[in-house]
Parts: sequence; structure tokens; C-alpha cells
Amino acid sequence: MTRMPRARHVAAVVAAAASRAVVVALAAIVAAGAVAQPPPNAARGGPGYPKVYDPNMPFEPKDIAGIWTPNGAGYGGGGRCRDCGDRGFSLEFPELTAAGKAAFDANIPSYGRAKDSDDAKAHPEEHIGRRRAQAPALGNDPYQSCNPMGMPRAILYPDPVEFLVLNDRILQHFEWGYGLRTIWMDGRRLPKPEEIDLPRWWGYAVGRWDGNTLVVTSTGHDSRTWVDHFGYPHSDQMVLEERYTRINYDTIELKMVLTDPEYYAKPWVAQTKRMHLIPQTFIQSSGWSGLLEDLCAPADEVDTFNRLIRDPAGTGKPAAPPKR
Amino acid sequence: MNRRTLLRGLSSIALLASASAALAHHGTLIAYDRTKAWTRDATVTGFHFANPHPQLFFDLKNADGTVEHWGAELLPNPAALIRNGWTRARSEQALKPGTPVTVTIAPPRAGGMVGLLMKITDKDGTELLKDDGVPPPPDNSLSAEPQPAKP
Repeated sequence: MTRMPRARHVAAVVAAAASRAVVVALAAIVAAGAVAQPPPNAARGGPGYPKVYDPNMPFEPKDIAGIWTPNGAGYGGGGRCRDCGDRGFSLEFPELTAAGKAAFDANIPSYGRAKDSDDAKAHPEEHIGRRRAQAPALGNDPYQSCNPMGMPRAILYPDPVEFLVLNDRILQHFEWGYGLRTIWMDGRRLPKPEEIDLPRWWGYAVGRWDGNTLVVTSTGHDSRTWVDHFGYPHSDQMVLEERYTRINYDTIELKMVLTDPEYYAKPWVAQTKRMHLIPQTFIQSSGWSGLLEDLCAPADEVDTFNRLIRDPAGTGKPAAPPKR
Repeated sequence: MNRRTLLRGLSSIALLASASAALAHHGTLIAYDRTKAWTRDATVTGFHFANPHPQLFFDLKNADGTVEHWGAELLPNPAALIRNGWTRARSEQALKPGTPVTVTIAPPRAGGMVGLLMKITDKDGTELLKDDGVPPPPDNSLSAEPQPAKP
């Protein structure tokens, strides 16, 4: 096999960077050059995240293209970085309506402190949503079968998301599930929740710039997705506002507010989240760089995993025979 | 400061102080009791490098000659294994059926012959599938050739 000449690779990356520089400020040219040549490994191991870049480098606030990660190790599941906020939507106690409480009770998560455990009892300061986890076999987390996480859960998951910026839309490409979400920037009106006949797993989203903050408003989210892995519910009436602000070279700060009068008596404000920039060359497999195709596929592999391992582990019963 | 505000403040402090505890509440861990983990010699019968968590299947031979067929899930997902240099090819090569290994297993709270794989070593004592949470150094050469296995 032949090795791609490094000079050609660098030229290609620099050319791509140069094309971006046409539409951004001079500062971004410097930044794009840095994207082409991430510093050596010595720059890693920063405060709780893979610090590839000097956060004090000049940057264009509205240039949010690139791979952003809340993962402490960059990618590969596991934990979020220390300054990124946790995997829950909010530390605030939500005020659920009666319908919201019923939906909350119907969701049985497998994340958080184990239900009725000493650990759970020792933390009354946490909302019960964070203290009611059961074994996956006894729960009903849609993620258990690798269904789409939807929003806002997908943006809370500790794996990278690539922002792809086009003229009329911004695409969020989530590594986990290889999910693609479209944020329309073409000025279209967001439909009212009651106007939407068919909710989507990734919802309907529009974006606009408020100063240097990208404001994304979305609705029409399929109510089968969860707000976060603690099993907080949302109805298809949910309107989610996300405010993305690039606060330095390698950090985006995200503030969210969930409004869902059917399930929540008042808007629920999220804990402020952060994600950090990594070059696409940070993620490598088979000598290929860029987001991993991190799918649960084929679907029957997930079924096999649940049947052979997780269901017996949660129930104590022997593995069930294959369905077919 | 009212009680709820105080509690929320304490909650924030507790969460900050226990960032690593987030992993301890991973969904995979709810089903298994890591305080009762045990270590035994085993023989690999199968390995699935698959999402959402890879699975190892193995046999345990008892003193009376009987054989138990076990299965276990790994805590790292395939992306984490890749991040640590445990590519699918390398993992499957290291865990071919018939391979003698030593496994440390956290048993399920509900009982049964399944578990969470805490540690696995080969006959030379080398830890396999290790997830140290540290990404490998970047290789910016973008070679079309497979990357060499890491030691």
C-alpha cells in the first residue's frame, strides 16, 4: 500500500482551511492553520479535557464549524470533562405537571443512583430523577435498544458532535449513533407545536444569531425520546431553546431552556454545558481520521447483547433463545 | 438562603467533588455488584466487538470437571477500545476462541452466569482491552496502511 504523502495531506487541509477563510475574519485564518497542524501530544492532558489548542488563540466567534466534544478523553463514551457539566439536563428540581409526573413515573432509567439503595437515600439533595436507576433489563430506556437519543439528550452524551456549516443550515453530526440534526438558518418560521402532524426523532429546528450567540429553537420532538438519561420526559409540545456561544478558541458554552406546558409547570433551565474543539485528526481508526461511525448496527446485534447478557443480568433468568 | 437553595448548593459541590463518580453510575454498572468481583482462569469461547458494549464469552472449568458457560459485557464501548489502540482486529486476535485468559468478573445482583468484565489478562499476564481513559497520540500522517498495534 502507498502512504499518502504528508505534503499532499497538509496541502489538502490547508486548502480546505483557506476556503473557509474567505468568509471569516483574518483571525480565523490563523485559527484554521492551527486546525491543519494540531500540536504534538505534549499539549494533551489539560484540565479535564484533551487540550489540543491554546484557548487564548484569536478566534472568530461566529465560526463554530468543527468537532466539539464534552468527553474527558475526547471520544469513546465514559465521562464528560470536568468543566463540561454532567450528563443530566439540569441540577434544578423540575416542576412537573400531573401529566408530566405520570410520564416521569413511566420512564425507568438505568442511569443515576440505584433505586432504593443506601447511596440513593444518602443524597436527598438530588432530585429523585437522579436516584431511581434500575438494571437495564428492568428499565425502559429507549437508548437500551440504541434508538435515536434526540434532543437535548444527544448533546448531553459524552461523545463528539461535528458542526457542519452550510449557507442555509447548520448540521450537527453526532458521533454516537452517527445521527444528523438539521438547524435551518434560512429564516423559515418554526411551526407551533400544535401545527406539527408528525414529530421527528431529531425535532424541527431553526437558528439565528443573537450577537455572537447562535440561538436554536426547536419543537416537534418525538415524545418517545428522553430529556436526559435520568428519564425526564418531554411531550411533543416541548420547545427547546439552545444558546451556543464560542467563549474562547476551543470552548463552546451551551445554555438551554426547556418549555413544555404539558409536562412542566414552568420552563426548566439547564445546567450550563461546555464542549471543546478537537481536530478531526484526533479521532483515528484504521489510519482514517474523523468521526467514528459509532452505530449499533445491525440491530439484531443489540438484541443479541440484551438477550445474552443484559436481560439475564437484570432478571437472573437464563438467556432467552433467539426470536426468529 | 432557603433550604432548597442550600441543598442545591450542596448538590453542586458534591457533583463537582465527585466528577469521577459519574462513571460509577453508568447504566451498565447498576446491574452488577463490583464489591463481589472474583477472578478465575477461563477459556475464551467468543468475542463480539460491537456496540453498545462488546461482549466476551468464556468457559470456567470447575474442580469436579464440570464446565460453566459464561458471558460478560465490557464497560468500554468499541470507540473507547479504539481510542486505546484496541482495534477490532487486535482485540479479536487476542481473544480467539480457545485462548486461555484470566478474568475478573463483577457478578449480576440478580444472579446467573453473566457479568461485567472488570479485567482480563492473557497467560503472560498482559492486560487486554485495557481502557485507561487516555487517548493515543495523534497520527497526522493519514496513512492508508493499518496502524501498527500498540504495545
